Amino acid sequence: CAQGSSHPPPSPLSFSLTVTSEQIEHLHRRFKQLSRDQLTIRKENFDSIPDLEFNPIRGKIVHAFFDKRNLRQESDGLADEINFEDFLTIMSYFRPIEMNMDEEQLDRFRKEKLKFLFHMYDSDHDGKITLQEYRNVVEELLSGNPHLEKESARSIADGAMMEAASICVGQMGPDQVYEGITFEDFLKMWQGIDIETKMHVRFLNMETIAHCY
Amino acid sequence: SQGIIERDETPMEKEIARLHRVDFEFSDIFYFCRKGFEAIVEDEVTQRFSSEELVSWNLLTRTNVNFHYISLRLTVVWVIGVIVRYCFLLPLRFTLAAIGITSMIVGTTAVGQLPNSSVKNYLSEVVHLTCSRILVRALSGTIRYHNKENKPQKGGICVANHTSPIDAIILTNDGCYAMVGQVHGGLMGVIQRATVKACPHVWFERSEMKDRHLVTKRLREHVADKSKLPILIFPEGTCINNTSVMMFKKGSFEIGGTIYPVAIKYDPQFGDAFWNSSKYNIVSYLLRIMTSWAIVCNVWYMPPMVREEGEDAVQFANRVRSAIARQGGLTELPWDGGLKRAKVKDTFKEEQQKNYSKMLVRNGSIG
Repeated sequence: CAQGSSHPPPSPLSFSLTVTSEQIEHLHRRFKQLSRDQLTIRKENFDSIPDLEFNPIRGKIVHAFFDKRNLRQESDGLADEINFEDFLTIMSYFRPIEMNMDEEQLDRFRKEKLKFLFHMYDSDHDGKITLQEYRNVVEELLSGNPHLEKESARSIADGAMMEAASICVGQMGPDQVYEGITFEDFLKMWQGIDIETKMHVRFLNMETIAHCY
Repeated sequence: SQGIIERDETPMEKEIARLHRVDFEFSDIFYFCRKGFEAIVEDEVTQRFSSEELVSWNLLTRTNVNFHYISLRLTVVWVIGVIVRYCFLLPLRFTLAAIGITSMIVGTTAVGQLPNSSVKNYLSEVVHLTCSRILVRALSGTIRYHNKENKPQKGGICVANHTSPIDAIILTNDGCYAMVGQVHGGLMGVIQRATVKACPHVWFERSEMKDRHLVTKRLREHVADKSKLPILIFPEGTCINNTSVMMFKKGSFEIGGTIYPVAIKYDPQFGDAFWNSSKYNIVSYLLRIMTSWAIVCNVWYMPPMVREEGEDAVQFANRVRSAIARQGGLTELPWDGGLKRAKVKDTFKEEQQKNYSKMLVRNGSIG
């Protein structure tokens, strides 16, 4: 007969993650499904999600799960495998805004989400988004269309980069070289724009929903 | 069935346009990022290949993932349930099943000795029906048939959604069909060889199955003969967990002839009929079925459908699929049952990316 899980879901975690224990249970079940009942997930485990297959930035999303900067670890680089607590840490970047948050919390919240996004672009972990890194992202987003030439993708990227440069640095002289977007510049770009509602995943009310395990 | 997260159904174009100040932006990545996360938290497809969870427990630990000790009284009731199921129901059912299978083999072999005539056909039907009924009793099957006036006629093709190997027995309990399938070894092979003597079932060798044209040709010949029994096909190609209907393989819809759709919906409260072939083999599956409380299901016969002018096989297949899903109260998924074992085809991946880049080109400032 089937028994309950051999490792019970962990109790509510120490860092401030205000999801209910039911939601943690659901995520834990999902974690077990992805890890095939192991204690850790590796990159290959994400291959078993058909819905994820046709996402053009699939590689970057999976990469983000193993990025040590996102896992709030001291060292740099990529982890080989993550456990459930790490999984929840990454999930926490997508939690929705709560009604009772004050200014400071909201600001921190926003910074965290933007930092996550920044890490996605900054693939060599040097703290700057260079033109080449940005081109890579655009190419990935457009990779599925065989009719679009590489040149077009490049010019889109260059155009956007120039726009970003003008916001961050203002008018540049003809000899000036724009090295790359730092995190402070990145924050500046998003001032006044509401991103919090675009970057969240909201759980439905959990009462008595029959679902598949 | 409900998901656990709220999904924003806004189409991609609208959502990205909302964020745009210029043509291409850092923000486009938000949309795909969020979609990716939603897929990681909850995946519509993989969900369908595991059993449906019940809201209230039916005293079968197999259907309750979070099984843990609640009270002494409940455990006692459960133990009584186990004793009843394993020591009383199981031997009874096993005996019945053995009788059913033996009668099937002996009966069809005997009828097979007769020369081809209407008497032979009649006797073959009697034997098949009787043995099917014995086997359904052996599983404690309680089946309600709806709309019997739409029952599949001779020369037609009966098409149904697939949940378990016993789907065939559920249907042959009420009528005679010509089965289609691969030749197996062992006990199944013996049954196949015996039954084909009495009734023209269509059994394919494994090598023949690979040749699609050969399969279609043989089925076409069978259907063309209006005196032959309707053939029974499960176009999903694999067992799905009975909460949704997946993509139908178009092969069955290219044969021609009249399609008689049938929707089968099991009630999971008394026993889980879904065969998760990656988790359980056939023997342990049958054991689970025989130690459940009962197999309760509803079968709806639906009015016949034919392929319309200008409709290709794929569109026809989807039309039939929608009708079955609607009748049975199942959801429809555009995914292929083959995803149980294989990965998504590249053509699907490219579609999404093509849409996105098309959008950019339209809005964009590229020359």
